[in-house]
Amino acid sequence: MLQIFPDLVRRSDPSEPTELLQETAFDNYKGEVLSGGFKRIVGDLRSKHFDTWSWYTLAKRADALLIGQQETTDLLAVEYLKERWKQVGVVAYPHQLDTARRVIFEMQGQAILADEVGLGKTIEAGLIVKEYLLRGLAKKILILTPASLLWQWYHELYEKFAITAGIQRTEWDWNHSDILIASLDTAKREPHASVIRKLPYDLLIIDEAHKLKNSSTIGYRFVNSIQKKYCLMLTATPIQNDLKELYNLIALIQPGQLGSYRSFKDRFMKAKRTPKNPRELKGLLDQVMIRNRRDEETIQFTDRIVHPIVVSLSPKEQSIYTRVTQFVKESSKRQGLENILPLITLQREVCSSFLATALTLEKMMANMDSEDLAVAASLLKDLADVKQNSKCDALEELVAGLSDKIIIFTEYKASQEYIRYRLEKAGYSTLAFDGTLSRGKKQWVRHMFQQEAQILVSTESGGEGLNFQFCNQVVNFDLPWNPMRLEQRIGRVHRLGQTRDVHIFNLLTKDTIEEHIMYLLHEKINMFETIIGELDTILLHLNLGRSFESAIMDIFLAHEEKGEIREQLDRFGERFIQGQSEVKTTTWDIL
Amino acid sequence: MEQLVFDFFKLCSLNPVEIRKGVWQVQADDGLMKELDGWRSQGRLLQFTFDQRLAEIYGADLICPGSYRLNSILQVIRKQGRLSQAHIPHHYFHEPSIQKKILGGLGAQRAYVVNSSQQYAQYMEIEILTEVRGLHKKESLHTVVVNLFSGKVLKFPFPTHLLRAGGVPQGLVGRRGCSFKQAFANAAAHLHQTLAQGEQKWAEEAHSKLVLEESKLREFFVGNTGSDEFKAKQQELHRRLHPVMRMDALRGALLFTPLFRYRLVVVDADGSERTKNLSYDPIGNLQELD
Repeated sequence: MLQIFPDLVRRSDPSEPTELLQETAFDNYKGEVLSGGFKRIVGDLRSKHFDTWSWYTLAKRADALLIGQQETTDLLAVEYLKERWKQVGVVAYPHQLDTARRVIFEMQGQAILADEVGLGKTIEAGLIVKEYLLRGLAKKILILTPASLLWQWYHELYEKFAITAGIQRTEWDWNHSDILIASLDTAKREPHASVIRKLPYDLLIIDEAHKLKNSSTIGYRFVNSIQKKYCLMLTATPIQNDLKELYNLIALIQPGQLGSYRSFKDRFMKAKRTPKNPRELKGLLDQVMIRNRRDEETIQFTDRIVHPIVVSLSPKEQSIYTRVTQFVKESSKRQGLENILPLITLQREVCSSFLATALTLEKMMANMDSEDLAVAASLLKDLADVKQNSKCDALEELVAGLSDKIIIFTEYKASQEYIRYRLEKAGYSTLAFDGTLSRGKKQWVRHMFQQEAQILVSTESGGEGLNFQFCNQVVNFDLPWNPMRLEQRIGRVHRLGQTRDVHIFNLLTKDTIEEHIMYLLHEKINMFETIIGELDTILLHLNLGRSFESAIMDIFLAHEEKGEIREQLDRFGERFIQGQSEVKTTTWDIL
Repeated sequence: MEQLVFDFFKLCSLNPVEIRKGVWQVQADDGLMKELDGWRSQGRLLQFTFDQRLAEIYGADLICPGSYRLNSILQVIRKQGRLSQAHIPHHYFHEPSIQKKILGGLGAQRAYVVNSSQQYAQYMEIEILTEVRGLHKKESLHTVVVNLFSGKVLKFPFPTHLLRAGGVPQGLVGRRGCSFKQAFANAAAHLHQTLAQGEQKWAEEAHSKLVLEESKLREFFVGNTGSDEFKAKQQELHRRLHPVMRMDALRGALLFTPLFRYRLVVVDADGSERTKNLSYDPIGNLQELD
């Protein structure tokens, strides 16, 4: 004990385990007397260490005040974190607080948090962790996530909840860290799995829990075998293909909640994706699952305002575009669909920048036959001759008219470099952001963008938890063909915490494939202005059998006329919308 | 709460100054700041207020139920005062009246006091944190005082208002007839008994939930209830839902109370005289005749 100033004694928290001194069985409960506190008092008695009576009485008053505070049936964490949230700019939304309350007070800490994407499941989980820590109900906590999200969890817990967790690196960590974040893939492997199975956890959190939808996988069996008091499973898609997936997830946290699988199938499954007795099933699900949706009751997102900017190519650019397109079509006919991927890339790049197109073409030439090689060489020469880039001219013009911070997205690194070169030359300060940056560098670029530079040129749409809510202008220099990637791009700025309307500027080249893509994404699917929840589920439901990009490419390869392409895209768009409504009306109405 | 905060600073030999109406300032040194905010903190001018509006205007630390600053202060305070001692001085009691009462209490026997002395009886005050865990956790504090001579729990409130800080000379302390461990066990048993007679809804609710969940678990493992997995899940369920009342001591104090000792000569009806020792504890109203 170290005397740091008159009468105030520094004491470390007790390290010795608290033992059970006495146990009594009563009618309805068990009575336990612990020895830890009294042992410490006796220790002080033996060493004749008496604190002053003033501190003793003050401490008793403090005990009473603290216990009185904890009697509240509301969340302690909210008051406790108020100041921190003010500092770091966190606003807890009512649906997040309600979720935490329900999990703690109604569900006894066993729940699936199945909010739609972007509603803050991690915040809800963090709030629950903090609450359990403050109430002294949890000490040993394990968070299992995909490896890519380890640091995101670490930062979220630290910044928003003042929880310092460890990130698992070695076998030693399992036993020695009270709050540990680990990759599920690592944890389920030996020798880790055996160590974890022996430890009794107070709280287990599984992020991206839909990965445990199959009960015969090692991951599922491993999580099922972990000793846990409370368990939270986070997923935006508790059902992807089959109601059995949902059954399996629930069996992990509350086996028996839906009965045995046979009885569940009889009572609640009409078809694989179609529930029977949906109302009854929903009643049972509500006891273990919380699903908040994006609507007026949860969050009012700001608007997305779309500004299409049509760029006319110069005759020379147009001629090269036509030649590249022709090359792609002919090559694909000859090579079949097996080697379609580089051709798709080429077709997409030609709408972005000729520099990117030239680099890809050059790489492709290594594996070309002599016929293609001659055409490619001539194309490459012409691409190198083009000095103008009408899209970049339009971009410069656009940027000149915007005063606030701007994120420019492109799919290609070569385009990114070219854009930066042009903008820097025009006197703008720019930063590059891409997937090759380390986590630390990404944070640094984000910080620099927030503090210094006006423009961020990014090739990464996912961004792994790096969010840019301080910016509300997004420029799509080229359009990704996959709606998922587009949503991820916009989602970097249009998410919780964005207080302004988000302006989306789409640069699209006239009379090119981009025009059609824009037609599909904007006019048919309305991707830009509305947030389509569960895009991945819808895409899965469409059962395309290949990637979204390939499906679109097929349309372009099979049809020459603009009218025909439009007609096919119309059909494709309608299929998407139908898939969307099917997903909602079949399984989702029970969630 | 406000008084508690000011008392805390006072005990730290600090005197907060009201720099604006409702905003206080105190120069906290390194030691205090490290205790409050962790080892990386350094001494600084600590400004605090109890008014949320003022906290926002002046950026002062807000002290209100649940606030970070209040919690940090409470944590520091609660680490103090684990064991203390206090006494009740003899002069709070009118000794001649006590002597009269004792002699009167002997009934038909005649007695007179040969000599008297003043010692201290020992009591132990134990503050026990009781935690009931059913569907929810609820904590409550109970203060139990145990007579260290008899080991009995005091059934009526101890007159804490009479206590004065500090112990008494060891030579004046009467003997102890009960170990500290026994005293704690008696206090806990007394508390269990008292609480068992009280409201039990928390346990009943948790118990019925446990029964319900266990039946669901059996349905899930139908035909396989002898498996290790079933046992593990059942154990998990009990760990989560089985109602428990848990007690642990938070702090304790030795309380020294006056003990009046008399050497008496008792005269029996036949005129024979016997010498007796009698001690009287006015707090416990305990009279012991040798």
